[in-house]
Amino acid sequence: MVKQLIFAASLLITLGVFAYTMNRLISFFRLTKPAFPVRDIGKRIGIMLKVAFGQTKIFRFPVIGFFHALVFWGFCIILFGSLEMVVDGLSGKEKIFKFLGPLHDFIMAAGDIFALIVLISVLIFLLRRLFFSVRRFEGVEMGKRSHTDAAVSLVLILLLMGSLILMNAGYTGYKHATGEEIFGVYPFGNLIAGLFPGMTAGSFSIMYEISWWSHILLIFFFANYLPYSKHFHVFMSIPNVFLSRLDPLGKMSNMDSISREVKMMLDPGPVTPSVTDDPPERFGIKDAEDVSWKNYLDALSCTECGRCTSVCPANITGKKLSPRKVVMDLRARMKEKAPLLLKNGKDFSDGSSLLRNYISEEELWACTTCNACAAECPININHPAIILDMRRYLVLEEGSAPGELKSVFSNIENNGAPWQYSPEDRLNWARDLEFEVPVMADLFAAGKKPKYLLWIGCAGAYDDRYKKVARALVKILNHLNIDYAVLGKEETCTGDPARRAGNEMLFQMQALQVIDTLKKYEVSDIITICPHCFNTIRNEYPDLDGHFEVINYLQLLNLFTKEGKLKIGTEAFMGLSVTYHDPCYLGRANGIYDEPRELLGSLSCDLIEMKRNRSFALCCGAGGAQMFKEAEKGDKEVFIERTEEALGTGAGVIATACPFCMTMITDGIKYKNREEEIKNLDVAEMIAVALGL
Amino acid sequence: MKILVCISNVPDTTTKIKFSEGDSSIDTTGVQWVINPWDELSLTRALELKDDPSSGIKSVTVAHVGPVSSEPTIRKALAIGADDAIRVNAGAADAYFVAAQLAELVKKEQFDIIMCGIESSDHNGSEVGAMIAEFLNIPSVSAVSGITPENGIPVITREIDGGREKVTVPAPFVIIVQKGIAKEPRIASMRGIMTARTKPIKVVEPVAGESLTQIISLEKPAPRSACKFIDADNPAQLIELLKNEAKVI
Repeated sequence: MVKQLIFAASLLITLGVFAYTMNRLISFFRLTKPAFPVRDIGKRIGIMLKVAFGQTKIFRFPVIGFFHALVFWGFCIILFGSLEMVVDGLSGKEKIFKFLGPLHDFIMAAGDIFALIVLISVLIFLLRRLFFSVRRFEGVEMGKRSHTDAAVSLVLILLLMGSLILMNAGYTGYKHATGEEIFGVYPFGNLIAGLFPGMTAGSFSIMYEISWWSHILLIFFFANYLPYSKHFHVFMSIPNVFLSRLDPLGKMSNMDSISREVKMMLDPGPVTPSVTDDPPERFGIKDAEDVSWKNYLDALSCTECGRCTSVCPANITGKKLSPRKVVMDLRARMKEKAPLLLKNGKDFSDGSSLLRNYISEEELWACTTCNACAAECPININHPAIILDMRRYLVLEEGSAPGELKSVFSNIENNGAPWQYSPEDRLNWARDLEFEVPVMADLFAAGKKPKYLLWIGCAGAYDDRYKKVARALVKILNHLNIDYAVLGKEETCTGDPARRAGNEMLFQMQALQVIDTLKKYEVSDIITICPHCFNTIRNEYPDLDGHFEVINYLQLLNLFTKEGKLKIGTEAFMGLSVTYHDPCYLGRANGIYDEPRELLGSLSCDLIEMKRNRSFALCCGAGGAQMFKEAEKGDKEVFIERTEEALGTGAGVIATACPFCMTMITDGIKYKNREEEIKNLDVAEMIAVALGL
Repeated sequence: MKILVCISNVPDTTTKIKFSEGDSSIDTTGVQWVINPWDELSLTRALELKDDPSSGIKSVTVAHVGPVSSEPTIRKALAIGADDAIRVNAGAADAYFVAAQLAELVKKEQFDIIMCGIESSDHNGSEVGAMIAEFLNIPSVSAVSGITPENGIPVITREIDGGREKVTVPAPFVIIVQKGIAKEPRIASMRGIMTARTKPIKVVEPVAGESLTQIISLEKPAPRSACKFIDADNPAQLIELLKNEAKVI
């Protein structure tokens, strides 16, 4: 009875402290902004089972990922035993779930074995951290505190597992010594007990009692230590995965507050006071209270594993940006600012902010929005969402951006392209073709409506190198008798670079203008060349009521090849070694990995993969409006890092499928003085050559 | 101190210029209008000065001579950060007329610093700034690439042949600014655009003034002919073309 009372008291203290912590965190969450409604529960459960319980993303680093998965599954199994211990402790009974019979036996046995597996795995983790220098665990954000925290957590788990093993050994040893019935099966506990042949029942009982109490009290302590540690992810990762953003990685969230303003700008009728009276307190993220609940949940769930930073092209090339730091900074700043806001009111300022005092503009502008960090995170943290919302603050509130991007904004605003070219010249790329490229306005005037709208994009229209790709593609479309038309002079920038550079207003102005034009011509199906245009029209326009079927040219051509309608000659590239660079906005952003490879396969060329390919592919360095600005200071340019990798394959052709990637890789080849031997071609150009067009 | 930034409304630099009325004026259909780039830079510098408490600048006003159709450009200047705007309700007939109107504004509103871009990117007259100063009999400083407060006095940097010159002149004065006056044009923030909606644009009727210039005709430069490539192994052909086609040797 005394034992039960002591147990109940310790449980009560545990729950009390835990409730205090949770209450504090909930009050922090109350300061955050809405993110997205939590719908599609079925889909969410699916993702949770796959990513959290299936540990699919942790396996992207296979070796260490395997050990982590073992620890995770071990914890899940052992949790059952811990629950039983709590009920036992309260009720004074022994192994209360024994009524489950064989299932109980199985779970106990699994828990017993997993205790050993977890112990070994965690020992490996700890030794690795203490004696090997793992680059992923270093960085400016990884101070002494982070390292100590990691070590403390691992030692706690070691003690937990050690006490569990001893508890099982004591239990079985005692039962064997007294001949009492054993509830559950404890293969490893048994083995350990067997190591002490001379031990009496009394000694085993003491061993059991001590380890039982240490195990449960350690659990109680651990549960209350976690929320203050990076290891909070033990609790948070499963809910965080369940609450993942379900949109494609490439999609940026729409700012509805800006939509209202832009609609008023485009339709300047009488200004309705109800709208102007209610502008948001702040556009974008400047400080902790500006983040969404999901951003903060991400921050709390992060266990500082550094997978994100280890794949970040900016970080790899020595820039200051580290996605892990962004997330850690948010958590730290919230911890600092939230109590002050709660105490002094929501308008309180402590003269510090997440932007600048924690995260510098230099870090923010180094992001290429390649989404490698988000794709890599084992628990679906979305780092770019925070980075981009901070850029939005800079541009929308302060009008602050790197100079080159300000020019890009002006160009998009004035002439509808990131470069300074006249809209009148938009169709120059199609000059001197053997056939006429059909223009939507002409067809429409003649009462015709083509099946597809072909979206050329600013690079296809103005970039001398990429014009050739646009020309190659229309030759193929012509060859296939595809019924299409282009917008010609009516085409304008989709707004992608503006949005990713934080200028949501300009993005929406462009988007609404494009949607308007497309609707005017009753467009339903769009073929795109540029992956950035593809991503924007497909994923982002629906939020602004622009709903179109968008297909990338590689998908379309692959479809035609599969249907047998596009027969590509294999002579041109037979046996030629080719490596394919995955554009981020086709690959990670939209999951298009197979189509280009299948098309290259049908050319019968010899496809050599780079080490980082498909979802692991390294960015070319140009995404997220980086194309138009100088890179931040670092050791190396991203495009050089990527080109070196491509050249390392020994391939004679580096195939790409994006205008920005093409510029970057071509520059990289020139930088390495290899332009005589190595070609950089778009997949469409290769097909056109193979078709003899 | 009060700054007046004179802004001109010009076609965007990528515009393909077409003429109308017998080649004596620019066809404005479909033209995207922007703030004259030099004026945009001077506005940027004016706002930077206002942000600097040591400059003593209390307000930045923009002025424009033009019809109601140029108000979006004025609104843009307000969105970038000007406090208020004055539009003289008349077509910008020529530099003399425009300068007369702006001089009248300066006289009435008592501005201390008047900033004009060195030229407008459409007609490239480079006249208005100096004319304003002449109308008012106040100093004007040309080729200005910087203005910085030093001990409460605005010190003006001029670009001179092979170097720079720093000068001060008694206020009020006109500075005629060129590139370098600001690093890059300031852009309008969303917040700026929202507040610009309620900022005042004062419309004043023009004072009597004459225009002294009449455009007889405008013409475009001859289109650049295509570039001919000659094989490096064939210098004879190059000489032949330079002699007979280009007629330069």
